[in-house]
Parts: sequence; C-alpha cells; structure tokens
Amino acid sequence: MSPFNELIHQPVRLQIMAALNALDDESQLDFGALRDLLGVTDGNLATHLRKLEDAGYIQVTKTFVGRRPRTYIALTPLGRQAFADHVQALKEILKNA
Amino acid sequence: MKHAPVSPAEAQEALDLIENTTQHMRRALAHGGMPYFLIIWGLVWTLGYGATYFLGADSPKVGLVWLILTTLGTLGSFGVGAHLGRRVRSPRGLRIGLYWLAWMLYAALIIHFAHPQSGDQLALLISLFAMMGYVSSGLLYRSGFLAILGLAVTALIVAGYLLVPSFFNLWMAVFGGGSLIAAGLYILRAWR
Repeated sequence: MSPFNELIHQPVRLQIMAALNALDDESQLDFGALRDLLGVTDGNLATHLRKLEDAGYIQVTKTFVGRRPRTYIALTPLGRQAFADHVQALKEILKNA
Repeated sequence: MKHAPVSPAEAQEALDLIENTTQHMRRALAHGGMPYFLIIWGLVWTLGYGATYFLGADSPKVGLVWLILTTLGTLGSFGVGAHLGRRVRSPRGLRIGLYWLAWMLYAALIIHFAHPQSGDQLALLISLFAMMGYVSSGLLYRSGFLAILGLAVTALIVAGYLLVPSFFNLWMAVFGGGSLIAAGLYILRAWR
C-alpha cells in the first residue's frame, strides 16, 4: 500500500507538485509562471511553497536575472518520489473501491 | 505521514486535478513560445516573398529586403527565447537554440554547394529546410502540432513550386507565410 500524503493532498499543493513534476529533472519554474498557471495570489503560493520546502519536497532558489530578483522552484528527488507515492495511493483507493 | 483515507470520489477528483495541471503545464512548456515564433517567421515569409514577387526576383532591393527581414526575425526569436528562458530555467532551451543554429549552418552550407539555378529554386530549398526543421524539432520535442504543421506547409510549398511556378513567390507569401501566421494566431486563441 503506497503512503497517502496529507501534506501533498491539499488542492493547491497537489497542483504545485503536479506542475513541477511535469518538468524534467534539470528544470526550474519561475515563481510568477507557477502563480499564473495556478491562478493563486503571491501570498497564497508562498505559504504553500514554504510548507513543501520545509518537508524537503521542493527546492527554492533565489537569484537575479539582470537587476531583477527571481525565484525558481524545482522538485527534489524526495518530492518526486513522495508525489509518485501519493498518486499511487489515490489509484489504489479507486482500485479497492 | 499518517494514512488519511478519502472516498473514491475524492481520490478521482484529486487525480483529475493532477491530470489537468500536468496537461496544462506540458502544453505551456511545449507551446509557450511557439505562436510567437510562428507569427514572426510567417511575417518574414509573407513580407519577403511578397516583396520578391512585386519587386521582381532580379531586383537588387530584394536581397536587402530579405537581409533586413531575416535579421529582424532572428532578433525577435532571440527576444522571445530570452523571455521564455526567464520563466523556465532549463538546459533544454539552450539545446533548442543550438539545434536551430546548427540547422541554419548546415542549410546555408548545403544550399551554397548545391548551386540552385534560379531564385525560385533557392526559395524552394530554404523553405523546405525551414519545414524540415519544424518537422524534426516537432518530433524531437513531442509537439505533434509543429510536426503536422511542417508537413502541411511542405505540401503547400511543393504544390506551389510544381503547379504555379510563375506565381511561386506570391504563393509562398500567401500560403507559406499565411499558414504560419494563421497557426500562430490559432494557438494564441485556442491554447491560452
């Protein structure tokens, strides 16, 4: 039985993990691009990102492009595995229904 | 993490949300800059081939028009690429840029040594090389839309060259450039 992950299951965090999981291992997504994709506010997104970062599921990198600060987000290997396990857990719930 | 059972309906809802987000993200990645590239190069083709038709292929102004248009097109493409690179940091963007640079180099070398015998043949070769780039990069980066568009425009190019040779440049301006612009506008409208 794959572990059901309550932290990931929250809808916004589920979408964050799904969006980042669609990137390849080498890619990072800009904070603004993720915000636009999910249609959430900066504050809301930052709150959910902090929880995922604290769990070690995502890596947040702050840098500068030219003179502008940019924040990039990527899944960690632990986060990718946790997401895969959670998806599997959801499928098993359906299968056992 | 403790086990937190949810109903099958809730599990299905979550899986649907994951699937929708994944598809949205993949589409944004695959097609984020494509409409702009298509519109930029569609305009280059429409204006360039239109100028070639109306000024005459032998006019000394035609070469200058093409030089200006392709320079603007290349600069515009780099601008779009740089903008996209700020949204997703990935070695893939650099690889796509290098792919097209290599493609341009080989196309220029092959066309130079092939010695096309007329302006129309030169236009045919350049256009076919461009569409070869669309089809191959579409296959490489799993964009069926780009690959199919490349094949469709290739068919239009060959048809125009064989069926209406006297109006080939006008044909290319309308159907070649027009197809690229229409495809770019379609993506902007349908996929955003």
